[in-house]
Amino acid sequence: MSSNIWARVLPAFAVGFALYYAPAYSFTGGNASFSWPLFTYFPSVGDYGELRWLLVPGSDTLGPPMWWYGWIFAATFVGLVFALIAALLPAKATEKLWASLVWIVPIGAFIFLANWERAWFGL
Amino acid sequence: MITFFLILHGVCALFLIGAVSHQALGVFWPRRPGQTDFIANARGIRPQVYVGPIIILFVITFVLGASLYPIYRVYVRPPLEDLRLTYGIGLFEIKENFAAIVLAMLPAYWYFWKKTSEYPTTRAALTAIVAVTVWYNFIAGHILNNLRGFG
Repeated sequence: MSSNIWARVLPAFAVGFALYYAPAYSFTGGNASFSWPLFTYFPSVGDYGELRWLLVPGSDTLGPPMWWYGWIFAATFVGLVFALIAALLPAKATEKLWASLVWIVPIGAFIFLANWERAWFGL
Repeated sequence: MITFFLILHGVCALFLIGAVSHQALGVFWPRRPGQTDFIANARGIRPQVYVGPIIILFVITFVLGASLYPIYRVYVRPPLEDLRLTYGIGLFEIKENFAAIVLAMLPAYWYFWKKTSEYPTTRAALTAIVAVTVWYNFIAGHILNNLRGFG
């Protein structure tokens, strides 16, 4: 494997991860129609908590849900798909593009997330 | 034990903030020949030397933070909601989100620093993103701990 393939695969992973993670955080809710997290963790259940596949809202018996781990695993999967696609695309045509997208997309994701989170600050 | 891990999380973050600050200074404000004062010495480093320690420290700090997260979710966040200190929750939400996205960027960050001399703009941008994220997370973590720590 040449070093060039890493120049596309590694940035593509970061891009895919950010592109999934930002909307996953923003659009996940108890009533969401799409399960953005791969699983839900309930830390209050038993001694070590309980994992349930896909999006499960919190309840009086299960306690508060944690979707963060589930978003990370789902975004990792999407990042790997992006990496695979990047590996298959021609190097010459795409290497420079990935080198730019690897920082532009995360900054865009940060702005998107920060805008979404304004509500916490009453803005 | 939880308090021990929280302190360890903070100590690792402290080392990490030192490393990213040195690297960012070395990239964006390098020492010029002849400058010998304290600040210039802080800037006069080889930024690529910090890549490995930054990645290792970020991952350790992240894993510690991720393992403490359930305690936050069960014992810290509900009182913040009850007290309507939602800005504290917001600070934490931004922290967790930025950390996750930067974690996924670390392999590319490593590649552009260690495996190629091309793309200096990408290298600088990734350095800036990592530095800003670490600084934000450090400050947000401190504020949150002041609002309501685990103890």
